Amino acid sequence: MNEREKRDFNAGLAEEVDAWLRGDTSRRSFLTKLMLSGAAAMLPGLGWTAAGNKAWADTVDLSKLDLADPSTPLGKAQADAMKASTEAPQDGSAYRAVQAAKQYSGATLNMTYEAGLQALEPKNFSGPVWEALTGIKSNVIELPHPDQYSKPIAEHIANSGAYDILDVEPAWIPSLANGGVIIPLDDYFAKYINKADLEDYHPLYKAMPTYKGKTWGFFDDGDQFALYYRKDIFEDPKLKDAYKAKFGKDLEVPKTWDDYSQVAQFITDQLAPNVYGAAHFRKFGSPGNQYSFLQQYRANGGKFFDDGDFHALIAGPEGVKTMEQMIAQNKASIPGNNDLDAVAAWVAWLQGKVAMLFSWPPTGRMTENYSQSAKAINFVPQSVIAGKAGYAPIPGGNGEHATGYAKCIAAGSPNEEAAYLYTQWTTSPPLSLVRVMLPYALRDPYRIAHYTSPLYQSLWPSAKDYLYNLCECSNQGVVDIIMPGWQDFALSLDRMCTAVWGGQDPKEALQKAAAEWDATNKRLGLDVQKAAYEQFKKLPGSYADNTIEKLGQSVKLP
Amino acid sequence: MVVNSIPSAAGTLRPSALSAWAERHFKWLIVAPAVILILALSIYPLLFSLWVNFVNYDFEIPGHDFVGLQNFETVAADPIAQSALLLTFVLSVVNVAIEFVLGLALALCMVKSFRGRGLAMSILIIPLFISPVIVGQSWTLFLQRPFGPADYILSAVFQRPVDISWLSDFPWYYVAIVIADVWQWTPFMFVILLAGLAAIPQHLYEAAELDGLSTLKTFFYITVPQLGPIITLAVTFRLLDAVRLFDVIFMMTGGGPGTATYTASYYLYQVGFQQFHLGVANAGSWIFLILLSIVIMTLVRRLLKAERT
Amino acid sequence: MAVVQAPPLPRRRRSARRNPGLDALRIAFLAGFLLFVLLPLYWVIITSIKPTSDYLVVPPVWFPSEPTIVHYTAALFSYRGLQALVNSLIISSASTVLSTVFGTMMAYSLARFNTGGQHLAFWVLSQRFLPPVAVILPIFLLFRSWKLYDTHVGLILAYTFMTLPLTVWMMYAYFRQLPKSLEEAALVDGLSRWQTLWKIAVPLAAPGIVAAAVFAFIAVWTEFFFALILTSRHAFTLPTVFRAFLGFQGAQYGEACALATTSLVPSLILGMLVQRHLVRGLTLGAIRG
Repeated sequence: MNEREKRDFNAGLAEEVDAWLRGDTSRRSFLTKLMLSGAAAMLPGLGWTAAGNKAWADTVDLSKLDLADPSTPLGKAQADAMKASTEAPQDGSAYRAVQAAKQYSGATLNMTYEAGLQALEPKNFSGPVWEALTGIKSNVIELPHPDQYSKPIAEHIANSGAYDILDVEPAWIPSLANGGVIIPLDDYFAKYINKADLEDYHPLYKAMPTYKGKTWGFFDDGDQFALYYRKDIFEDPKLKDAYKAKFGKDLEVPKTWDDYSQVAQFITDQLAPNVYGAAHFRKFGSPGNQYSFLQQYRANGGKFFDDGDFHALIAGPEGVKTMEQMIAQNKASIPGNNDLDAVAAWVAWLQGKVAMLFSWPPTGRMTENYSQSAKAINFVPQSVIAGKAGYAPIPGGNGEHATGYAKCIAAGSPNEEAAYLYTQWTTSPPLSLVRVMLPYALRDPYRIAHYTSPLYQSLWPSAKDYLYNLCECSNQGVVDIIMPGWQDFALSLDRMCTAVWGGQDPKEALQKAAAEWDATNKRLGLDVQKAAYEQFKKLPGSYADNTIEKLGQSVKLP
Repeated sequence: MVVNSIPSAAGTLRPSALSAWAERHFKWLIVAPAVILILALSIYPLLFSLWVNFVNYDFEIPGHDFVGLQNFETVAADPIAQSALLLTFVLSVVNVAIEFVLGLALALCMVKSFRGRGLAMSILIIPLFISPVIVGQSWTLFLQRPFGPADYILSAVFQRPVDISWLSDFPWYYVAIVIADVWQWTPFMFVILLAGLAAIPQHLYEAAELDGLSTLKTFFYITVPQLGPIITLAVTFRLLDAVRLFDVIFMMTGGGPGTATYTASYYLYQVGFQQFHLGVANAGSWIFLILLSIVIMTLVRRLLKAERT
Repeated sequence: MAVVQAPPLPRRRRSARRNPGLDALRIAFLAGFLLFVLLPLYWVIITSIKPTSDYLVVPPVWFPSEPTIVHYTAALFSYRGLQALVNSLIISSASTVLSTVFGTMMAYSLARFNTGGQHLAFWVLSQRFLPPVAVILPIFLLFRSWKLYDTHVGLILAYTFMTLPLTVWMMYAYFRQLPKSLEEAALVDGLSRWQTLWKIAVPLAAPGIVAAAVFAFIAVWTEFFFALILTSRHAFTLPTVFRAFLGFQGAQYGEACALATTSLVPSLILGMLVQRHLVRGLTLGAIRG
């Protein structure tokens, strides 16, 4: 069985058994159907296994691939991607990559991916399609998130050439580049890529995989935080009147962090226990604390390190203010706020229990029940608030681009060029559009072509607003601390926040975290860190005064 | 039984040179596979790990420069390491003590035959077979606010709202960890202690009954002394595992809030495999091992001695 | 052969009969503890058959109105669950067998011939206390160069190594409890030492071997850390796939619970098969009467 048949079979099996459990089907017809579907699944399965050893040309049959119904937007996007890979435009990055890669037919590319949902995309879609197009096989190595950093380094030390393509956080790139684990791609760019496809990245993301004047990967996942709010609640006349009476101003979607806490508290006071003002994922490792702190700290004007003696500045007045605001947010939020992880926060939002949620882009797709259309692998409940969500920039104006992914090529890869070509192909505009549109994928829009895609915009009525808001958030967005030591910095912040939620004095916790930051820099070498910090400061989105917007590079969509 | 049927068969065999050799070195040949395997998988790691103690081995700093005792100093000076060590000690003692008491109570309840004993036994040993990773996650699902049913059940039982943040409020995160650990490991204590109870000669109890000893007195004068060596064994084995407490922390609290639930093992994992300072983590493991070995030496030597007498 | 009196379990004093209060206490405690054991298990099992809209809600759903097996089909077939189950079964059984065979042989030698004196025994036992964090990286590098990384064989060897100390210790204790006289008689009767081991000692030690094997199996079946570091695409085991359902952005509780429930099945079967032997094996061996 190939992936598609397998999933059809699973979905069918699950449906049959469930129907029987509900009593919709009699036991006899259930058993008959079960056996039939089992046999139906086995037969092509056997055929597939037998054919598996034949040359790729024999098995190229696009009907075998896991493609969506051609009448759906996703199906159309897939058809466009196929066309771009095999017919035209011939100067497109996708076409060029496929053509150049055919010489490597028979090779196998080993690529790391986060285990679980993320890995379904290359296993079900891009891997098999690439194989059908070029004869190059792909192996998906599923790793837990932190291991996506450590395993490539361990393999690098072992000099095993085990991995070709690495899916990594952009914030890891400086460490990986310094350690010689990944290679710069500039020469390949010159050889293969269509420059227009490079320019099509949102400028925030275009700059992110660069370090020391070179480009070390293809950006591949726009994890931009944005604010999602309930239009019906914010437009409720009774609430609006009450708010005006109490605060003397209109009830609006908050634009500053102080407004955010005030509005959240107001809604909680008015509507609890049916609806609360907000939810945040603030459990240890959830992983929300570090991102919340970093975006707010920078919106409050904070800087990370002293330009003179390089000591950490987070315990300064901006840090204290940020912690106070975050404590106010927790207080104004759903009970158990500090125990939520990212998924639990989504569930609370989808069940209509909260009026505001800032989180990653899948929020918008789940709200409209688009993500849930992949029934067999769904992990969040049906949304009861479809059509009721509004989209806004993060209060304070500087939403975190939290994590994201970039695809890099491992140094010592035995298939370096083929690996590069796959990466160019899969991140090219037509292919990446499909991948950010897959309902079960957790990859999020990052190209201008994604924001402006009529197909994406047609997925639900307000999809265009959603995409435009993501673009606007990226214009104002700030990025993670893209320099060596990022894991340590983030861990210190997460510990600091949870310690404060647990009752520790904020000032004391901030000082402890600042001391940990200093120790991290000292351990990694002050000179190395200073140099890396200078690089970081130049990145768009390093600080509130250095966003794409402030640099005058904002993407303004028609 | 078997013995009688063998001599004729064995006696007629002419041992070849090989089998004679095998016979001569019998005692060494049968230890060989285990010893070779252990040597193969432990010598190199041991030497490597000794070397890593004194060099830079960090996924964030390329190269392996000699750094002297710096790795050790880093760990020793880290306040988190110190609190983690303390917590490891406290949690191990508390966990093992509770598991021992509950395990003994269960064993006393179960030693006598009754209807449904087989079923109860089957249920009681289930936790032994579940991966600690799964145990940690199960308890998280059960306890975690706002969706875990624990607070809901407690509210219903006590007839007033209970909202405990089991995984982020002091001291409940400690309670949650102890609950999960006790859930998983009490059965271990129980099984071993039950075996011990079952091995106490029946005539001792009959004598006690004839002498008219009360139940309590029988327990303290007969059961406890007879059980002594098994108690040492069960507590030792359990303690040696308890000090490594890792998976439950990993799944339930992630060491948080702050660093409140860092145990030694979790700290070492965090430093070594989340922050990737392997040199430091390695030095930390050696410090931990050396501290532990004092306890290990005492307990293990005692066990071995008990076996030999 | 009356030397080894395997004490049958259903016994102990009749005195408790005189004390109904104690009996009630006993039943209450037992019932309470059983409830404590079953409650989280029930929650995991029931979560595994809940539709996604039922598993994170207040008030909690104790039984879903529309149970579904979708998490099972997804966990086992769409993800790597089934292969993980097969891998776990293969790896656990193989390392259990190896560990039991090697361990029993070594323990026999230690117990009967005092091979290597106290030092060898202590050395083997001390292996149990190597901190995993300290040895895992070199083992990883070693496995890489020996081509054992991410193979079943590699993990089987690693787990045999990991479980040997306990097996040796348990069997060592067991053999020391067994009388030598039968083996001596066999030797006098002309059996070789090998025959004595296989035909006399091993059958006598069978209950102990079963107990030791069960403990080795449990240790391997539930192990997480080694599997996490030493496998990737081929030899991954259940706990690592379970962990993978709890990802960075998307935690799939339904699938995680389905896999947890699945992993219970072999354990439960084994548990029921061996529960009687477990206590009997321990009674004579590792446990000194």
